[in-house]
Amino acid sequence: MSATTPSAAPGGRRTGSGFGRLLVTVYGILAFAAIGRSSYELATKFSEAPVAYSLSTLSAVVYVLATVALAKGGPRWRVVAWVTVGFEAVGVLAVGTASVASPDVFGETTVWSGFGQGYGYVPLVLPFVGLWWLWRTRPHGRTDDVVTSPPEPTAPTVHTEPPTEPPTEPAAPDPEVR
Amino acid sequence: MVLPLLIVVLLACAALAGWALWFVVQDRAVILKQLIGAAVVEALIVVQAVVAGVLMVTRDHPVDGPLFWGYVATALVVLPVAAIWAFAERTKWSSVVLAVAALTVGFLDWRLWQIWGAA
Repeated sequence: MSATTPSAAPGGRRTGSGFGRLLVTVYGILAFAAIGRSSYELATKFSEAPVAYSLSTLSAVVYVLATVALAKGGPRWRVVAWVTVGFEAVGVLAVGTASVASPDVFGETTVWSGFGQGYGYVPLVLPFVGLWWLWRTRPHGRTDDVVTSPPEPTAPTVHTEPPTEPPTEPAAPDPEVR
Repeated sequence: MVLPLLIVVLLACAALAGWALWFVVQDRAVILKQLIGAAVVEALIVVQAVVAGVLMVTRDHPVDGPLFWGYVATALVVLPVAAIWAFAERTKWSSVVLAVAALTVGFLDWRLWQIWGAA
């Protein structure tokens, strides 16, 4: 599972190494928790609160995807990671706010209710740590002198294929090029 | 579930987590002996699950079955997966991973105890 790309490749660091190893672990645990929760809810009481339990299932799928994407960390998986982790950030804020503003809206609690209160607020903190980590390990430039050199195009969040990196995998985008 | 076994499992998890954290402080990666320690914790949880199953049948202990066994399954999965994942990394972060996994299993076991008593 390791050593497919060097850990300090010039084009960006692997998302699953070093601190990323911990990040993926916590994501994995949350994914397990969310899977367990949603399968229990779907199997035993889905009709009681379909909205809440659908949301639980959705969040479970997203956590699994994010875990896999962060663990794999290739150019395409990095895109998946940005999308899923970003989705979690939005999800926990939106659902958290809605659940606090009007507690009855979902009928039942979800992973994201009360900003992830039931899970020690891990669901609230984790996506932002994940986004920070994706940014930090991004394929462009040095990670340690971000501020000094602005030639980087301003902050499109998704970098798929840095021109400098030896192309170990074909670039993800543009299926219509030829 | 029985209280003595719960205490043994919780202590084992705490010991494993403490061992791993000690390695973090020393900037060391997980070693094979720690994986054996994780296997011991795993075995204890299996024993605990068997005891719980027997008690459910023989004493007709009321418990939310799907919830209980869901937690058992999760508790059993966490350590092996985390151990493999940790062992592939040869830095201190592997020890952090093992510590987090051990604490998680301890927490799950505590939840099992609550579920056992709740129904």
